[in-house]
Amino acid sequence: MNTSGRLFSTFLFSPIGIVYLLFLLAPIGFFLSMSLFRYDAFELYVPALTTENFERVLTDGYYQEIIFRTLKIAFLTSLFSLLLGYPLAYFLARSRTQWRGILMFLVIAPLMSGIIVRTYGWIVLLGSDGAVNKTLISIGLIDQPVQILNTETAVLLALVHILMPYMVFPLFSSLASQDPDVERAAGTLGAGRIRTFLEVTLPLSRTGILMGSALVFTLSAGSVVTPALLGGKDVQMLGQQIYDLVLTTLNWPLASAVAFVLVLCQFSIIALYFRGGRHGPA
Amino acid sequence: MTQEPVLEIRDVVKQYGDVRALGPVGISVREGEFLTLLGPSGCGKTTTLHIIAGLTNPTEGSVSMKGRDITALEPPQRDMGLVFQNYALFPHKTVFDNVAFGLRMRRVPKPEIKERVERVLEVVGLPGIGSRYPSELSGGQRQRVAVARAVVIEPSILLLDEPLSNLDAVLRKRMRLDLRNIQQRLGITTIFVTHDQDEAFEMSDRVILMNKGGIEQSGPPEEMYDRPESRFAAEFIGEANLVAGEVVEVGQGELKVKVAEAIFTAPAGKMTVAQGDRVTVMVRPERVEVSKTPISGGNTLQGKVSSRVFSGDQVSLTMRVTEDLELLCSKPSTALYRGFDIGDPVWISADDCWVLPRVDTRKGGAA
Amino acid sequence: MTTQQNSSGSSFHAARRSRITRQIVMGVTVTAIYAFLLTPILIIILSSFNTTSANTFPADGLSLQWYREFLESPSFLAAFQFSAWLGVVAAVGATVIGFLTAYGIIRYVGSYREVAQSIAMLPIMVPHILISISLLILLTVLPIPELAGLIIGHIIICLPFTVAGILASLDGVDPQLERAAWTLGASRLRILWEVVIPLVAPGLFSSLIFAFIISFGDVYIALFLSGPGMTTLPIEIFSYMQWESTPVIAAITTVQIIMIFGLGLIIERLVGLRQIMRI
Repeated sequence: MNTSGRLFSTFLFSPIGIVYLLFLLAPIGFFLSMSLFRYDAFELYVPALTTENFERVLTDGYYQEIIFRTLKIAFLTSLFSLLLGYPLAYFLARSRTQWRGILMFLVIAPLMSGIIVRTYGWIVLLGSDGAVNKTLISIGLIDQPVQILNTETAVLLALVHILMPYMVFPLFSSLASQDPDVERAAGTLGAGRIRTFLEVTLPLSRTGILMGSALVFTLSAGSVVTPALLGGKDVQMLGQQIYDLVLTTLNWPLASAVAFVLVLCQFSIIALYFRGGRHGPA
Repeated sequence: MTQEPVLEIRDVVKQYGDVRALGPVGISVREGEFLTLLGPSGCGKTTTLHIIAGLTNPTEGSVSMKGRDITALEPPQRDMGLVFQNYALFPHKTVFDNVAFGLRMRRVPKPEIKERVERVLEVVGLPGIGSRYPSELSGGQRQRVAVARAVVIEPSILLLDEPLSNLDAVLRKRMRLDLRNIQQRLGITTIFVTHDQDEAFEMSDRVILMNKGGIEQSGPPEEMYDRPESRFAAEFIGEANLVAGEVVEVGQGELKVKVAEAIFTAPAGKMTVAQGDRVTVMVRPERVEVSKTPISGGNTLQGKVSSRVFSGDQVSLTMRVTEDLELLCSKPSTALYRGFDIGDPVWISADDCWVLPRVDTRKGGAA
Repeated sequence: MTTQQNSSGSSFHAARRSRITRQIVMGVTVTAIYAFLLTPILIIILSSFNTTSANTFPADGLSLQWYREFLESPSFLAAFQFSAWLGVVAAVGATVIGFLTAYGIIRYVGSYREVAQSIAMLPIMVPHILISISLLILLTVLPIPELAGLIIGHIIICLPFTVAGILASLDGVDPQLERAAWTLGASRLRILWEVVIPLVAPGLFSSLIFAFIISFGDVYIALFLSGPGMTTLPIEIFSYMQWESTPVIAAITTVQIIMIFGLGLIIERLVGLRQIMRI
């Protein structure tokens, strides 16, 4: 490329470059490096190197429990999203129905309605006066409303609901880009439906599965609003801890250490995804 | 008077990583000439055209126009009109706006734009379609609009990148003449890229045959056809009988070559061969004479018809001379030539033959 | 087929039966998944017409009182307006930057396209809460107004989506058109304006809408960066819900849902939502 071509590509890339470097990577780097600073009640943080924040996060039973719960909920969320998202993505990728456009819209629409809207929907559904309890009582399964709000189940349900579209997208694109003839070929070679699915379709959609799982895991592990509204005091996750430490306790170095642990979990998942993706059919 | 070339490219090389796509190549183009870059796909002809247009930068070498070095200039600073293979008409602009585009970029005043666009649309034979969109035109019309858009800016050189390959066979033949007419009416220097030998021959003043990123041979169409320099040139341009022979005598402007048991006399051209050299002799199928009765004289062989293909206006006969020598002969489908049948003994004469001056290592071997 | 009907008739029927069974299983599964996806949203819409103040369902009666309450609440109205304003600003910013980036990726990075695309997708790989806190801390260090921080934060979370969407649109543009314009004398910038932008206009418009929707629904960026006088609607709802929970929330979110469905349908008409699913 000659000089003016280089100049023009600099012009094209500098806005995103400036935004990402100055407002995304540098601040995140600064915030995460704060985990090595000492907390100070008056100056918030003192740039003196210390490992005390990490020691506290990793040894305190309170944080251990929260880390464990966060990982558990994030894992279950991505698992259930996959179990529900796969049939949906498969259907959307293979179906020839004239309703396909609308059906796709209905997957995307919840995503577009925002986290608050959907979390609120679950409050209405799961409350002691909510639709679920009333239905269960009216069919005589229970006589007293059961406590669903403020449990891990509620948080899990809502997170699966909120994040499932993120699973469906990558699954859909990996399934839609597959040549349906490959499946048909397996069929003509005598493989049954289930064999065909397990040996052809599933391995070929591996990239989509890994990408979607990593995305949902990351997003659920970092959630704040949903566990705060549906989990109450008892279902604390890492995101809420960071939120409280930053805005209420104002212990930024500790918040940074907690965030660091969160990011570490996520990056190990993404690293797993990339390792898995390399072995997959590219 | 030998005028200065309009365009000259010197020692141009295009390298993609470790792969050399082109070069080194040198071409010079005369004013008003219709020059064709002919070759199979991947031979570097389109790369050459893009380097001339400035769309691709050469790795080495230079391009100059009327004595000025333009290697570093970008397309807008060069004075060239390019017609693309798929026409590349702007789908969101009308025919008028498509053609006017280059003039607007040159800040030509509006009334003049209108006048020039209308005039050029008349030249290409499409008056009054300015308000239509490209999608409303036929393939041939789009092609003409693309030419109009390229020539309206009155470029020093018109570049045509396989502009006929998207048309059906009948239209393609007609457009060859039309394009040539437009070119001559405007007197514009033109470089045409194609893989179609017929197109190249019918339209060009001069043909450059390219192969594997280099120039194989160049010259006027008739010379290219009659005097190919290599096996590739002989086979890519038309059909050719290529037979192995051995030089037995080097005479004054003449060679005597032993083919099978016969002695062929061929023009020597400018080549330097010695007695005993192994060479390849080319005879075009339509220049092979066949007869059911013996022919005397030089350049004659005797054989049997081994296959006969009738294709309407032509009859093609394959004749076996020896175990490893077959000759193809194409003749007009008159009663005389239809009369040959498989198995008939025939006498063959090939007075009009040519010895390939460049010896390929593949067959015959360099002596 | 007819000659074989007798011998293969039973297996033919068996195959047909199993195909119908399979279709029924698939249909029931997909319907159930859709029910799961859509029930919470339908519940919100229905309970917004409730007469009592509790979040009960089914509704005890029909009324529009919660909509009236929303329209009479200055804080909710102000938040709605601010969110809409912020959404427009962020959408324009993310679409302009996204277009430049996508065009650069498609024409100027050659075989590094995959890498460049992954880098552009960075913000969906990083938890939004982290983006938000880091921006907040940046604002304590650099003299940047809070509002600017909020706008930049929203642009950052919208960019992966605008880049991906516009890339999909640009894939449909024949690069020869740009070359043609170039040889005709147009500068690189002029080519963008005269050729590329008109051809991807539907993609740009749908990218604008999609970015607006993302910005409008965002909680995490605003959670840390919205201050007094610049509270977004989701944050207003969030803080309201932490203390009380009445169907006025349902009324507001219903308005939001209707707005988003309308905008989503516009995208569908413009480029097809399939393009968005290519992320």
